[in-house]
Amino acid sequence: MINPRTQELKNSRAESWEPKIAAFLCNWCSYAGADLAGTSRREYPPNIRIIRLPCSGRVNPLFVLKCLMDGADGVLIAGCHTGDCHYSEGNYYARRRFAILKKLFEFLGIDPRRFQMAWVSASEGDKWVKVVKELVEEIKKAGPILAKS
Amino acid sequence: MPALIKMTLRILLNRVKTDTLLKKNMTKFIKKEDLYKLLNSFLKDFEIIGPKQIANKGIFYEPLESIEDLYLGELFAIEPAKKFFLESSECLFHSGFLDGKATVQDAPLPDKRRIIIGLRPCEAKGLILLDKVFDSEYKDRSYINNREKSVIVGLACAKPDKSCFCTSMDGSPTGSRGMDVLLFAVEDGFIVEIYSDKGKEAFSSLGKEPDEHQNKTLSAYKQKRSELIGKNFKVPGDLSPIFESDYWDKVSFPCLSCGVCTYLCPTCHCFELVDEGRKMYRCNDGCAFSNFTLEASGWNPRPTKKERYRQRVFHKFDYFKKIFGENLCVGCGRCIRHCPVKMDISEIVSNAPSGAGK
Amino acid sequence: MIEELRNKARELLKTKQVEAVIGYQRASDGLSAIPCVIRSEEEAGRLIWDAACVYNLCGYLKDFRAKKLGIVAKACDVRAMIVLISENQLNRDDVFIIGMECCGVVDEKRARVSGRDGSDISSADKCKSCASCVPLAYDCLIKEKREKAKVSEDADKDKYEPVRKLEAKSLSEKSKSWKDEFKRCIRCYACRQVCPMCYCPRCVADQFMPVWFSKAGGIEGNFSWNVARAMHLAGRCIDCGECERACPVGIPLRDINRKIEKDIKELFGYEAGMKTDAKPFLACFDKNDPEDFIK
Repeated sequence: MINPRTQELKNSRAESWEPKIAAFLCNWCSYAGADLAGTSRREYPPNIRIIRLPCSGRVNPLFVLKCLMDGADGVLIAGCHTGDCHYSEGNYYARRRFAILKKLFEFLGIDPRRFQMAWVSASEGDKWVKVVKELVEEIKKAGPILAKS
Repeated sequence: MPALIKMTLRILLNRVKTDTLLKKNMTKFIKKEDLYKLLNSFLKDFEIIGPKQIANKGIFYEPLESIEDLYLGELFAIEPAKKFFLESSECLFHSGFLDGKATVQDAPLPDKRRIIIGLRPCEAKGLILLDKVFDSEYKDRSYINNREKSVIVGLACAKPDKSCFCTSMDGSPTGSRGMDVLLFAVEDGFIVEIYSDKGKEAFSSLGKEPDEHQNKTLSAYKQKRSELIGKNFKVPGDLSPIFESDYWDKVSFPCLSCGVCTYLCPTCHCFELVDEGRKMYRCNDGCAFSNFTLEASGWNPRPTKKERYRQRVFHKFDYFKKIFGENLCVGCGRCIRHCPVKMDISEIVSNAPSGAGK
Repeated sequence: MIEELRNKARELLKTKQVEAVIGYQRASDGLSAIPCVIRSEEEAGRLIWDAACVYNLCGYLKDFRAKKLGIVAKACDVRAMIVLISENQLNRDDVFIIGMECCGVVDEKRARVSGRDGSDISSADKCKSCASCVPLAYDCLIKEKREKAKVSEDADKDKYEPVRKLEAKSLSEKSKSWKDEFKRCIRCYACRQVCPMCYCPRCVADQFMPVWFSKAGGIEGNFSWNVARAMHLAGRCIDCGECERACPVGIPLRDINRKIEKDIKELFGYEAGMKTDAKPFLACFDKNDPEDFIK
């Protein structure tokens, strides 16, 4: 395993920089929704790297932090709509946790576009594509996270 | 007690060495503006590291981009200059593939020479103590490189504070051990004492011989400084009889097991090795942390504050003295000044019960 | 006030209501205080009480698990104990709270940084927004007989004013100023050790696989550490200010913690350390929590 940060630093200085975005998807809704987008042969930018979890409530703020510090240009968390969580309440906890984290990031000078959250259900392949396309556009405008270091 | 005699001889010899060096070498007076001009001219060939005042936070050593930022006043830097020699986190080696073969390569050593200015005598003495660990039987590559590439320009202390006790640790606010050059702040400038070839190379071109008034000021200065140190105590000779004493239980109660005293100490040098992404980093570590001696089996020989605080005291005032002849403490007072609960190691050591048994 | 405190300690120890009393004694410099533990009536004369009694002593409670203890506590210290009780870290019956009516403690940080000798008695910043001199819970209260200092005069003002000022800066200004602050972090973990709420036996900062807070050059590790600690204190921090006081390099930690405290209060209406039976903030949710940031 190469030191991820060094690798990202090299990538971010290249002429042909493409953002690398980590996405934490819950297994039951958003991962299925992303899968639906795939089986429907919908096209969307390949900058997303998906990590499948049982529930959006499983996402630890440390995961988001480590991704951004190791050079991911953006992080997305996608989960079930409120009320539809497979484990009843996981996404409610996630909603509280990440409301705080998002505001903290902005307070400390991290571009708010770099950390986003979305509710995507298993039937919302279209919404998934829309979310990803918009996210990649915004991150491209925000630039590489390691640009100045 | 041959060990005690050896120790005393070693200390006396050091003193004699420094005094003779002084007589052989140069003393100059240089105006403040001229010193700054001189340092400015060095910026292209040297990295200049000196104290910088950060509003409301304190004094910190930093590589200076502009000499105007240099602070040569009375206040002490919070972190000692040790971190420019024994770095708080440095890559030792990295592994990877070269031409299809697995290799391990030493991390490259920095090449640029540097002038470290504004060090206090206690910090420079701390470097001499660190040399005994990293530059004697064992030669540490990067520490030695840092030592060789640096010219140490010290600043004698104008105003010791109530936590200082360098005189009890065989030092002084005007001490020259470990210095290449030592500055004494006088009216509108500095008297510069140059002790080494490195120092001569940098400073001999400027300045002039000090006049009589300045010489008098300097002698008075040297005489008076040591008197300003309030704390004075004698370190007990041999602490081993009281190793099991419950004194350590009592005195270690307030300790929080944080790393402030060890990280800010000019002589503490314990470290840990951390592997990050195929690079091996040496990071500083502190014996006060609760998991400092935690072993892979889960056993921790120093599970409570008592054992850890006792270890700190013994390492500094007993073990190191027995092996190397001097206490591993320069009396800078940083541990006292910045301890979040105001623990005072000098009081704790000087009040330690004497003798064998409890 | 000091005599009343000492007498109370003597009484508690004599009647064996407690095994020990944790309080403050005079430090070697003659001005500051240092935490101490008293185990017998004869030692009670060591206890002091004045504006130098800055420390939050709750952290020492874990040295004495399952024993009944007396503790000298100010209003802010008691709020910390309330949080610990609500998180099952402390049994209310195991601690005899000697509540002290507090008029503010010294800002020793400012005194130290400016080179003065610590006899500066201007109040610490945190005291200026303190709402109450009297602790929320106590087993006995030792009242302040002198005229009260102006602790509560500014309490009506917006406590989060400094945070709002910082929020108003531009993104690049914020980024630069926080990078400058975190650059100085030496990872001594004094902030963690002094915090009454940081009681994890094995902190996430000490984990190896993976290393969450890198020490490999650059500022990422220091940034992560401070963000993670702030998040772990979300809904638990009661602004005792000890972290900022303990930090040797002067990082404004209270600003970060107060930012989270402000968001939690304004978005969710929750305040830490008020009720012993309150559920921890992040361990519960409301169906109507704000979700305007979620697409």
